[in-house]
Amino acid sequence: MYCINCGVKLADTEKTCPLCGTVVYHPDIKQGPATPLFPADRVPKPNTNSKAVNGVLIILFMIPILVCFLADFLTNGQINWFGFAAGGVILTYLFFALPLWFKNPNPVIFVPCDFAAVIVFLLYIDLATGGRWFLSFAFPVVGAIALITCAMVTLLYYLKRGHLYVWGGATMAWGGLMMLIEFLLHITFGLPFSSWSVYPLIVLVLLGGLLIYLAIDKSAREALERKLFF
Amino acid sequence: MAISKVKHLHWVRLDNAAKIYPAARRRNWSNVFRQSVTFYEDVDIDVLRSALDVTVKRFPSIAASLRRGVFWYYLEEVENAPDILEEKSYPLVYMSHNEMRKCALRVIVYKDRIAVEFFHSLTDGTGALIFLKSLTAEYLEQKHGIKVPCEHGVMDRTESPSPEELEDSFLKYAGKVPSSRKDTDAWRLSGEIEKDAFLHQTCFQVPVKESLALAHKHGVSLTVFFSAVIMEALLNLQKEKVPSIKRRKRIKLLIPVNLRQLFPSKSLRNFAMYTIPELDPRLGEYDFDEICKIIRCKMETEITSKHMGSVIATNVNDELNPLVRLIPLPLKNLVMKAVFDTVGERKSCLTLSNLGLIKLPEIMKQYIRRMDFILGVQAAAPYNCGMLSYNDTVYINFIRNIREPALERHFFAVLQNMGIPATVESNYSNLENN
Repeated sequence: MYCINCGVKLADTEKTCPLCGTVVYHPDIKQGPATPLFPADRVPKPNTNSKAVNGVLIILFMIPILVCFLADFLTNGQINWFGFAAGGVILTYLFFALPLWFKNPNPVIFVPCDFAAVIVFLLYIDLATGGRWFLSFAFPVVGAIALITCAMVTLLYYLKRGHLYVWGGATMAWGGLMMLIEFLLHITFGLPFSSWSVYPLIVLVLLGGLLIYLAIDKSAREALERKLFF
Repeated sequence: MAISKVKHLHWVRLDNAAKIYPAARRRNWSNVFRQSVTFYEDVDIDVLRSALDVTVKRFPSIAASLRRGVFWYYLEEVENAPDILEEKSYPLVYMSHNEMRKCALRVIVYKDRIAVEFFHSLTDGTGALIFLKSLTAEYLEQKHGIKVPCEHGVMDRTESPSPEELEDSFLKYAGKVPSSRKDTDAWRLSGEIEKDAFLHQTCFQVPVKESLALAHKHGVSLTVFFSAVIMEALLNLQKEKVPSIKRRKRIKLLIPVNLRQLFPSKSLRNFAMYTIPELDPRLGEYDFDEICKIIRCKMETEITSKHMGSVIATNVNDELNPLVRLIPLPLKNLVMKAVFDTVGERKSCLTLSNLGLIKLPEIMKQYIRRMDFILGVQAAAPYNCGMLSYNDTVYINFIRNIREPALERHFFAVLQNMGIPATVESNYSNLENN
């Protein structure tokens, strides 16, 4: 059999021409059965050793923890500020390095876990410094941020379409969060109401509204895309 | 005669050429090549296993594992023959260091074909072919009860290996004056690299008679003739990809040279050097005769014992330098890898390795349908090409790790223009996700 496009003679095993990709075809001749050169299951590349890289990352993260511990202990004779530094390093590890252990890390699981870790870290700081701001301020603020972010991540991860609606809704929710922060600052730290949160609220609600409008109006979206592509 | 039970070789230093390959390895590339023999009937794996057990004892420097010393790598004879593996969908799957530590050669069976894949530190194409022929002879003897005479590279498996077979001939035949390593860079082929490390193999089958007649018409050998065809294909490909003539780069083809034809060596380890004919497309158009002439002249002047002796001397001098010898292996690897990347690989577009016409004892020929020689791709370039002639056919195997068969298309176009009929087959045209 010959390739009808490039004219090369093809072995009986070929389903398409190896040189030009044309499907092997002849109106009269039927291709007989033949053993292909290699089995036709495409075996993916053997996994490279990512465990070794992750192991090295753990060691790299251990170094600042160890240095902080020694610096704190040797200068103060006791553990003073080491916990804050170590907590920061551990949080960084949880955010960036931990997902590398998994083949396809799911952000819908990792993002809530990250927020939980932040809340625990803040609770530790509150208890260690005797600040008494955790329950009335840090927990609700971080909790609200976590709620909005997790909802956003989940919707963006699982929805195939309608991402602009999600972004629009989330932008408006961030505006609402500003008001919550001002309110909590007032009841925790006694700061007076100056209504500063109204300004970001207005901006964010307008921005969110614009995104939702763009999500609804296809022609406006296309016009914007035409002007702004890069 | 009984098979000797005495262990002849516990370990051996890597030869001069072999030293670079373990150092040059990278995460997804190792220098491995394959030779295979295809029968008229399916392979009997039990018989093959038994034949392999006998053959590996005869070739202790080839059936070996790669071990790490403090200053150098070394080869250690394997206790038992390696397992026989099943074929994957592509040849020359990456050989990891762990695998080499067990055995640096693989025996793979697929229906009627026995393929052996060698890490290049073990031996070169000639040594590998002797191993494959001996294994095949042992297999046929055990399977069909025939007696294969020990000729045309088939070795007696019951003999012990001689010291000459295990010697590092580079050290023995190095010239007195080293030559310069200075060379110009070559044009780099490029394309969309396969992410899952899949290798595309395209095999052209060309009749020996017609190609030889044409080669003789141009006054050259078959190696020079097909080198010229590939170089013309490379010129045409570059013309297509780089329209500006001033921006074009040199077309260079690396042709390995079997040094056993120049020196009286019987070594079964690496003993090959290379020559690199080149064309500068900025100087103007080349016709086919001109290309043939350039390659032939280059080969005639360089493939002499004097020239090759001096090239060997350059490499051997580096190896014997006491400072180099004292550097610990991990550090040495870094340096050797850097040298390999800057000197070794930039100097050619691809390699064309020709094993020549394969001669076999007459009695073996009735069982063997075809033979193949496949090189792995270069570390930094996407192509390579191995060829051999068996019976009346030249088997030219291109391998590439990029998607587009651009060079193969141009290669075929050149053959077509000359009126040489070619049959093509591949390992990718019938894959579903190709």
